[in-house]
Amino acid sequence: MSIEVKDIHFSYGKIMALDGVSLDLDQGAIGLLGPNGAGKSTLIRIMLGFLSANSGEGRILDYDIKTQQAEIRRYVGYMPEDDCFIPELDAVSFTSYLGELSGMPRQEAMKRAHEVLYYVGLEESRYRRVETYSGGMKQRLKLAQALVHDPRLMFLDEPTSGLDPQGRTEILELIMDISSKKNIQVLISSHILPDIELTCSYVVILNKGKVAAEGDISKLKEIRDLYEMKVKGEAQGFLDRLKEKKCRVEETEDGILKVYTPSDYNRQEFFRIAAEESVQLRHFVKSQSSLEDLFADAVGVD
Amino acid sequence: MTIKEKGYTHWDGEFLDKKLPWWPITRYGIKLTFRKKFFKLLFAGSLVPAVVFLAGIYVSERLEDFKFMFQESVPFLQINPAYFKTYLSDGFMLFIMIVILIFCGSGLISDDLKHNSLQLYFARPLKKKDYFFGKTAVIIFFLFILTLVPGLVFFIMKLVFAGSFQFFLSYPWLPLSIIGYSILVTAFFSFYTLFISSLSKNRRYVALLIFVIYFASDIIRAIFYENFHNHYFSLLSIRANIQQVGAFIFSEKMPYPIPWFYSFLVLTSICVLAGFILKKKVKGVEIVK
Repeated sequence: MSIEVKDIHFSYGKIMALDGVSLDLDQGAIGLLGPNGAGKSTLIRIMLGFLSANSGEGRILDYDIKTQQAEIRRYVGYMPEDDCFIPELDAVSFTSYLGELSGMPRQEAMKRAHEVLYYVGLEESRYRRVETYSGGMKQRLKLAQALVHDPRLMFLDEPTSGLDPQGRTEILELIMDISSKKNIQVLISSHILPDIELTCSYVVILNKGKVAAEGDISKLKEIRDLYEMKVKGEAQGFLDRLKEKKCRVEETEDGILKVYTPSDYNRQEFFRIAAEESVQLRHFVKSQSSLEDLFADAVGVD
Repeated sequence: MTIKEKGYTHWDGEFLDKKLPWWPITRYGIKLTFRKKFFKLLFAGSLVPAVVFLAGIYVSERLEDFKFMFQESVPFLQINPAYFKTYLSDGFMLFIMIVILIFCGSGLISDDLKHNSLQLYFARPLKKKDYFFGKTAVIIFFLFILTLVPGLVFFIMKLVFAGSFQFFLSYPWLPLSIIGYSILVTAFFSFYTLFISSLSKNRRYVALLIFVIYFASDIIRAIFYENFHNHYFSLLSIRANIQQVGAFIFSEKMPYPIPWFYSFLVLTSICVLAGFILKKKVKGVEIVK
């Protein structure tokens, strides 16, 4: 396993940020989802050794997160969420500097800096000082510095935040290329669900410091079926009966009910309950649940 | 060319098991300092006193040649430990050090705080002590060029100009005093500068603080002394404390009639406090509670 954490607990004072998180994650691109304050960044920081867990244990690339942090950081690339750079350096110096700090020989770090800047599309502006870069260029530069030492695993914290649609597409293309063709495992923490859906095959959803859902995205989507329908008549009794049957119901602005049912739910039940509650069912279709639905279901929001 | 066509190749080199993982930090720190406007000129200017003192050593060995310039009765240019102490701990030399610190040290940590770059450092196989030592070594480099290097060069050149080891035999402990004093003043100013640099994200405020705290401490000492006529108030002044310990190291008369180790304790306490706060302030992640 590349990422293996077991029963991790961490609190900021009285606030519990991670409450018994356990994960076993292997190859490929993995999405780390969760609302603000769910503990995504905290988990990444613990795995990198920035923070020490109150309890629990873990191994990253088979190195212990408590005792072998230097080895972990040597083989892991980290792209932070915030804008971060070292002023007065051009992009080549910046990238090679961080390569050297990873332990690369000086000349190789410089050569490698040129290569990764070329790869992320900054070849034309690699001699410009980093503080003059636009937001999109800074994101690419952060990706370049995370790649310079050729990591085996990358932690990308909100890699597309603050990017325009074109920049976002290009960064996502790079991430997909890295994770699918270059044998580098990628863990992407993001709020942007379509980004995760596009780049990852596996997802971990954190909520209130706990793992709310975890698995292949396609399989997770199958856990619940989604039906869309319209109801004519007094719907409250009908909705209450559905909730008793462990269905989750959302109503859209145009009056369509989205009903998430357990996978073993018999759709004939809808018609039976409707008849018993004296309502008419109209516009009844089986729909495809999205990652957004899965996320909402896992974290318990509409 | 699209991104996918550009391709990504794996690096087939090997990581070095670096004995000095902090060295790139120091190298870049020195490089960036020399890139600052006017710094090269200023740094060259800061070496002028060293050149003047070196000329003094030369002249002292050639007094016969320069005798026509002075009255016979004036004792002129005696090269002894006091001469070295005067160069190293004179108020003007300390002022030059402060100016150099403003250029080389004010942004060392504050820039990293401002641009969130601490997480970039600590995402590398670097320990906190490597980061601190890398930054400290930038200050050590510049201050040793102003203190240790000229001090030892003066000593060697004195022997060379004299053509004998008489001076060494008279003061065999002097090289150790030069080394000891240089380490003391450099260590103190390193803690002092890094501590102040960690207090603000704005390098200009840091520069101002480095300057103001140093001189304010001396002004406060003077005000208290004028009012109470108590020499113990010299413990409030950074300059006075350094000069007091410097006088002890060079076995010279103390500038203030108080025990030298009080001053040493004050300087050490400032360093310990600064180190403690620095350790708290510099983290890979900022935790907002």
